[in-house]
Amino acid sequence: MTESAGFEGGVGLRDAVRLLRSAGNASPLRALVTNVTGGTMLELLPSQAETPRLQPASPVEGSTLRVVPLEGETASSFVAFLDGVQQSRVAAQQGAVPLVHGTVAAVVRVRHDRRLTTWTSGLRVSRAMYLPVTLLDEGYVTALRDGGAEIVDIGDGSADVVHPQELLRRAHSAVQRRRELIETELAELWCLTGDGPLMVDGSISNQGLAASSGQVVGVVKSHHTLYATADALDLVTRLPAANRTTAFEVRSPRRTAVASWYLRLHEPRSLDPFFGLVRIEVAQHAFTPDRADEVSRWVLAERTPVALPDRRWHVMSYGVHDCESYLRALVS
Amino acid sequence: MSILGRVVATERKPNTPHEFHFWTALDSPVGIGTIVRVECATAVAGRLPVVYGVVVEGFGYTDLETPLHDVLGHEGAPGDAELSPTMRTEIRLYSAAVLRHLPEEPLQPVGSGTVHLATDEDVAIALRMDGYLKEGSNTGIPVGMYRAGATSSPIFLDADFLLGPEAAHLNISGVSGLATKTSAVEWLLSSIFAHCPPSKGRVAAVCFNVKGPDLCFLDQPATRLDDADREMYRTLGVPAEPFKDVEYFAPWTARGYSLSTLRSNEELEHNVRPLTWGLREVLQFADVLLNRDDLDAKADALVDFIRERVVDQDFSDSLLESSHRVQSFADLERWFRDVLGSMERSNHESWRTHHVATIRKVRNRLGNISTRCRGLVTDDGSVSDLPFGTFRDRAVYVVDVANLEADAQDLIFARIVSQLREHLEKRTLGVDHVVVFVDELNKYAPSDGPDTYVRKMLLDIAERGRYLGLVLFAAQQFRSQVHRRVVGNSGTALYGRMDPDELASPGYATLAPAIRTKLSTLEKGQLMVRHPHFAQGVFVRFPRPAVLSGREGVERFPQAAEPTLEAAVTRSLRTLDRSLTLERVKDAIALSEEDEVLRARNRTLQARPPDVLSFFRAQLKRRVRPEVIDPARSRRPLRPVPADDPYGF
Repeated sequence: MTESAGFEGGVGLRDAVRLLRSAGNASPLRALVTNVTGGTMLELLPSQAETPRLQPASPVEGSTLRVVPLEGETASSFVAFLDGVQQSRVAAQQGAVPLVHGTVAAVVRVRHDRRLTTWTSGLRVSRAMYLPVTLLDEGYVTALRDGGAEIVDIGDGSADVVHPQELLRRAHSAVQRRRELIETELAELWCLTGDGPLMVDGSISNQGLAASSGQVVGVVKSHHTLYATADALDLVTRLPAANRTTAFEVRSPRRTAVASWYLRLHEPRSLDPFFGLVRIEVAQHAFTPDRADEVSRWVLAERTPVALPDRRWHVMSYGVHDCESYLRALVS
Repeated sequence: MSILGRVVATERKPNTPHEFHFWTALDSPVGIGTIVRVECATAVAGRLPVVYGVVVEGFGYTDLETPLHDVLGHEGAPGDAELSPTMRTEIRLYSAAVLRHLPEEPLQPVGSGTVHLATDEDVAIALRMDGYLKEGSNTGIPVGMYRAGATSSPIFLDADFLLGPEAAHLNISGVSGLATKTSAVEWLLSSIFAHCPPSKGRVAAVCFNVKGPDLCFLDQPATRLDDADREMYRTLGVPAEPFKDVEYFAPWTARGYSLSTLRSNEELEHNVRPLTWGLREVLQFADVLLNRDDLDAKADALVDFIRERVVDQDFSDSLLESSHRVQSFADLERWFRDVLGSMERSNHESWRTHHVATIRKVRNRLGNISTRCRGLVTDDGSVSDLPFGTFRDRAVYVVDVANLEADAQDLIFARIVSQLREHLEKRTLGVDHVVVFVDELNKYAPSDGPDTYVRKMLLDIAERGRYLGLVLFAAQQFRSQVHRRVVGNSGTALYGRMDPDELASPGYATLAPAIRTKLSTLEKGQLMVRHPHFAQGVFVRFPRPAVLSGREGVERFPQAAEPTLEAAVTRSLRTLDRSLTLERVKDAIALSEEDEVLRARNRTLQARPPDVLSFFRAQLKRRVRPEVIDPARSRRPLRPVPADDPYGF
């Protein structure tokens, strides 16, 4: 792939595999190198899934969680969408030590005349090898560095043996952090130079400047953490379509506090209580109930065109789907 | 030049040396038939390949996996789609057939690269026109304008491949009324006359008008040329004016008073000539008029005998009552009567090995010809023909056979083409190349049916005419119904609006579906051109012909009413002498029989004498004008005898 604006160097999986193969020929500790398509994606391993949990949250709109019907015209004012993808695969295995190649990318797609295009300077792609440097034969590390690969050390500095799955977990986390980092960069750049509301796929509470910007809205599709307990949980899971809950505060130690509420995009037609359910995040200082209604209507308006064939179509806006399609075409 | 698209190749749709795929923006000016240039990204043998192609197929799709998803997405309400804040991602993907690789070798699959709209220069290179448009060669004949986006490029045919000797002939197909076959040929003839290179020598055209008034007004200016047409004429360097030198030929009607043509208006008679043949001319082509059942081996032998031993020479035989000199159908009938009568009298069943039944049969069939082809074939042997030997450069000779029976049409076609061929072989025609235009080719050279004389002759022209300078421009509705060797030998093929059923026939299987669809929806004035230099068919537009259309012509110059004998003769003779009046002609023919008058008129028209009326009178039998005798004068008294007359009583 031709290097261009937004590409942060590093080498692709094919190049990394080639470097490891050539290094392996000269090494007494010969690594088992995969074919050029790489091994299984770490993102698909079951151990990577978060543990579901319920978490109480403080209301910022009234004293308890209530249902707010959204009436009136649903028209969207979002002018851009931000999403990121990650892809990590085991490129080689030296004994019990996996050498993981990770690619992360994020993009802002802006909407002009109902069509989406990539925002100028709105693309970030980063590729790196994620490996415990001290547990590997130095020849491999040198070969990768000399070949231009960026190396992210996932070791703890010691030469103690570590469980291979733990190394995979660390690699996956490191890749995820890298993705969040470039997403944050883009979101902040939009806050500084962009013009108009930006929909971000996922939480904005970890996105620095964006978490406190009035023009960034986060739409969270997954509900491993549910900000509702007791009666509130029942209210959320039975929320009708085109209704929102009152807002509450989402706060965690390393993140910026944001105002959030649940919104049902589509009527549940199955037993899945989360069908069509998203959680919206906006900067806390910019929150008002009217703002929550307005933003909810924007998100409702983004239900069409439907993001099919993505299996998460009922909670995904087409703009975010477009970002993913774009990035998938770019990094696959 | 901005980038129009990018070449893509996938495992499912790989590029080959002959085809490649590319995508474009949704609003790009690319369409079926657009010529593009690919600048490949990877050098081969130190040179970046450039590939030219013509778009033959287009695809458009969105990121939907199934239409059902869109229906569900809009709750089954199509109007709601317009309310969506975002339009689905959509793609335009095109397939292009390769026209040319530069460099030509090694011939490799088309590589990745950028796609650009072809410029004028690109079009010339892509279609290999650069070879014959360069200084020193310059054998280009404009056929129309290629248009795509803002590009408008002239397209040229190579005269060496249109008029010979490298290849020749042109075939044009399309449905009636919409394909503009006749218009295309009229335009192309103008173009040939304007651009035929001097090295090709002199060129003329013989057009057979087989239906209606299609070709009856080639010398009259068009009334419906618009600015776009005139601009195209200017760009292509062809004068927007009618043909300057046109001569029309038509047989007489059965009655013989006027010519059998829709160009009978008196204003236009100056260049309309009769087409009549006598026994000698017809017997050469007896095969055309006599079918296989008529002409068995015995009858054939007798016809040959008559042709070689009887016609145009003194013939005598001990059995016959008198000697004969057979020069006309009337002479031949007298000869037959003498032969058969003599055989009866002498009780012979055969004469010179020919059985009486064969003689009767041949007499019957040959005698019929002058009846079946009345107006064309004369009893008296008078001939009025095309000016073989004195054909003029850039002249058009139109033979109007529209109102004739099929037999007569066949005879005319066979004889004229044979004469052209003979004269071209001897280089005595007066021109070096003759374009023969024949419409309704599926009637004259059908792919099935009996092997007729006309079809054999058309095959002969198609296969060998290019060496002689005899070039066939043929048109038909259904190319698939024309003999394969006739269309196969046409170096250049034009396709107008085509019938979809015709396009479904195997002959069009090599065309991409999108090309076939475009052919079935072509608008008037558009053609697809295939030419030996073009690797693929190219769509062009051509201007309306600068001549009056047949339909307008008959409105502006209505057909003359069937005249009286006197008026008919006067009109015919006035084409030679405008000072002649009806009264003078009436006076001249007052005592003559109708047949005699028509014969005299025909001879006068053929001879074209300086003193028309005197020559015409001389052809009529001399008759003493009847005189009424005064009764008083007839009873004049005898002169009295003189008194001193010694012999008086």
